[in-house]
Amino acid sequence: MLGVRFGEDGIKGALVGRRIAIKDNIVTADQPTTASSRILEGYTSPFDATVVTQLRHAGAVISSKVSLDEFGMGSHSQTAYEGAVGSPFTRNGEALSPGGSSGGSAMAVADKSAWAALGTDTGGSVRLPAAYCGVVGFKPSYGRLSRWGVIQYANSLDTVGVLANSVADVESMYQQLDHHDARDPTSLPATVRKRMTISKIAQPAPLRVGVPLEYNISELTSAVRDTWIFTLSLLQSAGHTLVPVFLPTTRQSLSAYYVLAPAEASSNLAKYDGIRYGRRTPGNDASPAEGLPLYAKTRGEGFGEEVRRRILLGAYALSSEAIDNYFIQAQKVRRLVQRDFDRVFSTKNPLIEHAATPEADGAVGVDVLITPTAPTLPPTIAELKQQTSVESYMFDVFTVPASLAGLPAISVPIPLSAALRESIDKQDVRSVGIQILGQFGTDDVVLHAAKMIEGLCAKA
Amino acid sequence: MSVPSVRLRSLKALPALYTRPGYTTRPCYVSKWLQSRGLQVSTAPPPNAVPLRKHLKDEAKRKKADAKAGTGLRRDNAVTARLQKWELTVGIEVHAELNSACKLFSSATAASGDSTAVPNSNVAAFDAALPGAQPQFQVATLLPALRAAVALGCDIQRKSGWDRKHYFHWDQPNGYQITQYYQPFAKDGAIRLSAEDGVPEEDLLGGRSLLIGIKQIQMEQDTAKTTHHPPSSYHIDYNRSGHPLIEIITLPHIHSPQTAAAVVRKLQSVLKAVDACTTGMELGGLRADVNVSVRQRGTIGSSSYSGVAGLGQRTEIKNLSSFKAVEDAIVAERDRQISVLEAGGIIAGETRGWSLGSTETTRLRGKEGEVDYRYMPDADLPPLIIGNDLIDHLRDRLPELPDTTVERVQREYGVTEKDARTIVALDDGDRLEYMEATVELLQPRLLDVDDLKLGKLAGNWVLHELGGFLTANNLCWSDLKIYPIDLADIIAYLTRGEITSRTAKQLLEYSNDDSTSRRVGDLIYDLGLLLRPLSDDEYTELARTIMDENPGMVAAVKEKGQKGKIMWFVGQMVRRGEEGTIEPGKAKEVVERMLAE
Repeated sequence: MLGVRFGEDGIKGALVGRRIAIKDNIVTADQPTTASSRILEGYTSPFDATVVTQLRHAGAVISSKVSLDEFGMGSHSQTAYEGAVGSPFTRNGEALSPGGSSGGSAMAVADKSAWAALGTDTGGSVRLPAAYCGVVGFKPSYGRLSRWGVIQYANSLDTVGVLANSVADVESMYQQLDHHDARDPTSLPATVRKRMTISKIAQPAPLRVGVPLEYNISELTSAVRDTWIFTLSLLQSAGHTLVPVFLPTTRQSLSAYYVLAPAEASSNLAKYDGIRYGRRTPGNDASPAEGLPLYAKTRGEGFGEEVRRRILLGAYALSSEAIDNYFIQAQKVRRLVQRDFDRVFSTKNPLIEHAATPEADGAVGVDVLITPTAPTLPPTIAELKQQTSVESYMFDVFTVPASLAGLPAISVPIPLSAALRESIDKQDVRSVGIQILGQFGTDDVVLHAAKMIEGLCAKA
Repeated sequence: MSVPSVRLRSLKALPALYTRPGYTTRPCYVSKWLQSRGLQVSTAPPPNAVPLRKHLKDEAKRKKADAKAGTGLRRDNAVTARLQKWELTVGIEVHAELNSACKLFSSATAASGDSTAVPNSNVAAFDAALPGAQPQFQVATLLPALRAAVALGCDIQRKSGWDRKHYFHWDQPNGYQITQYYQPFAKDGAIRLSAEDGVPEEDLLGGRSLLIGIKQIQMEQDTAKTTHHPPSSYHIDYNRSGHPLIEIITLPHIHSPQTAAAVVRKLQSVLKAVDACTTGMELGGLRADVNVSVRQRGTIGSSSYSGVAGLGQRTEIKNLSSFKAVEDAIVAERDRQISVLEAGGIIAGETRGWSLGSTETTRLRGKEGEVDYRYMPDADLPPLIIGNDLIDHLRDRLPELPDTTVERVQREYGVTEKDARTIVALDDGDRLEYMEATVELLQPRLLDVDDLKLGKLAGNWVLHELGGFLTANNLCWSDLKIYPIDLADIIAYLTRGEITSRTAKQLLEYSNDDSTSRRVGDLIYDLGLLLRPLSDDEYTELARTIMDENPGMVAAVKEKGQKGKIMWFVGQMVRRGEEGTIEPGKAKEVVERMLAE
């Protein structure tokens, strides 16, 4: 048993006494949970989320509930009703984005107020803030960690993730949470978990590392590209094989994501009407005399701008006139994204009986893919304010494909080269997030590769 | 790890709730719900619910009255002329509450029919749409749904799915209803109806029966119950929220209002027979929406639905809660549509409402006001996979369907189809059980009478004599205290010629009297009711006395030859003779002989 700890009162558990910050869209019975939304103001859940219960059983201390982009919708943690999350870094005195939506979780880990944190990752919401705050952020395969008690944003994509200062710490958290939960109907059943264990590759053989050429986009800044190349060369010198691979649907996946996630959000957020819990606009909110739909005032005032935008986008994508062109098309793209991945990984997709394989294309598969987590270093808050909402969606371009396919993905901070460090502000970030992706269910392979890269960087 | 599912009942123990000053916050559902617990939530049947028997009786009465009234005739003629020109087409959607111990997606008790349940006491986290709660499909709810689908001859789909149907209403906590829109679990069934089910002759087109296609059956969630407290308060009881329903969608194969009502009635009887549902329309367990369109006979309309093309533009009338409402609403809507079309207007595709007693449907919302339900697969719920072994198991153990029962009752007990149908339909099957028990008890009592004859005897007594007794005394079936063994004794004594039929009827009253626990045999001996044959002399003496008192009547027979008056003398003898002593046949013989002298 890895890392069993003993508390002062003799309690045994892997996480005894560890302070864990919980993203505030994961419900806790002893503290309010608002998903950083005004509409859930004052709401305390009558039950703990399963992941919280699991942490408590392992002896962990829930140290705080931390802010997020309202309901997880955002990439910079600037839309929380209680106020934006600040980054530990600045550039020439300008505040930087901490990344989002699990910005509060990444910050808690970065400033060491928590030993580790739980976040949620729907399209990159654990990996992006990890990259921007210089910590490790892991999104396991969809269905490994229970979502019971996790406030839905886009439930076919929502995944509980872990943030910590090292891959080992992430792993010890993950091991406490990686169990079937009957109350989450999307939790992977024991039979599938067993099948995935069998497909595990032998470690620590040299890895075949895939490099998706589509990720080398023009928007990639040189700091990110150089660090990516540096990481790959470290691996190559350590005896691993680099393999260029093609993931042709990468470009379309961002568009597909921004159709599917808002569509699901418009449905999942329909329950917030101010009737049973949360905030309600005083007065008659269901007055046909005023010609307004039910709850228009409560929902109009309770939700922030970005949430309202995504609900409208999603409602449109599902409307009878648009569903064929938007929602259905996006689902098809999602399948293609999954097939892209199945065609490059050596491990067969355990969820699909007749999954595509590299062998079918006359190729040899790879064990992991290595990409940047984000195309740029964190932007300043001032820069963000210049951007349109669509431009800001660009930050998710590298994280969204793994979300669409439900794959395990981790962002590891790789130190900037000495030359680069010299050229930038002392208060600026010191690392770039590099992402490692694996086939569905090969979470252990991804963690193994991450630890190895972490080790190679420490030696370098 | 097993953690008991969260019930809101236990939420009283919640820690003090966090509120931020300066804002109106709703502290929690709990306090709201606790308040509502003091409330009387109405559980009385809807005021417009009409029991089947009463409905049938009223219908017969109405038809008789219509036939009598001259104006009715004139109106009928006008209606007939219209209906010869216009053809009505109806498709029905029936929503039925499944007989289930738990809700569709939570283990909370499904106690919507339980009037004693405290409001909001059977509510799991998902039923109240608490943040972070997820649905858990309860396999047990599938069984009554499958029984219904098998009974209605549907193809059970191996794979079906769950979809969200979005609309805002306070009785819909999630903001969507989970239903089966894209992939229902059952398709392509049918239900057969005959004249005895209430289908008019002209709908049968000379055939014995009519087959109405069922497009599909889907499972879905029921809504919460709202009670209105004027002027502007609504109280919501989430006990019903998430209760499993099936929606049965018929094809637009129905062409008269009476047949439409008959379809709903028949569906209810089938659902009850296979135990898919326990409460019928009269208690709100069944609700119907009807799609109504008309077109001129011989023309082809430009609308279509459920895969049937060439129809006129349809309107939908929602939430009909009695058979009578189904029929009356269709009549009203048919007539409205014809009037609009004859005046050169066009029918708008819209949703309309109907309230009992009104003569017109009312517009609820038009197409522009129509909700776009934004159907979407529910990503939390895996597809529903139903194995053939389960279907076979249920098919083998399916309870007898009403039509089969009627056939069996005719065959085994020799009663007419009409009587068989009535016995089967009455008192939720109790009447039939009563009759079957009576026959079984009669067999050892009347060994020399064949079974068919026993069945006929018992059928006659259970249906007509007991029915007449109840009506005469203004009692209902549940007031009956006569047991099958009492009735069997009465029938046996009568059949053996040991009591008169007048005595037999009197015995019904004695047996139903609470104050006696005596068996029929004891009653007969104690009260001296046994038929005591009189001698010829005694008959003659009694007849003589009556004749002496009524010389006019004697003269009428003897001189005017009014033979019919003979029976008057027989009646007088039966009345005047001591209880249970005069046999009418013998009395007639004596009177005839004496008057012939």
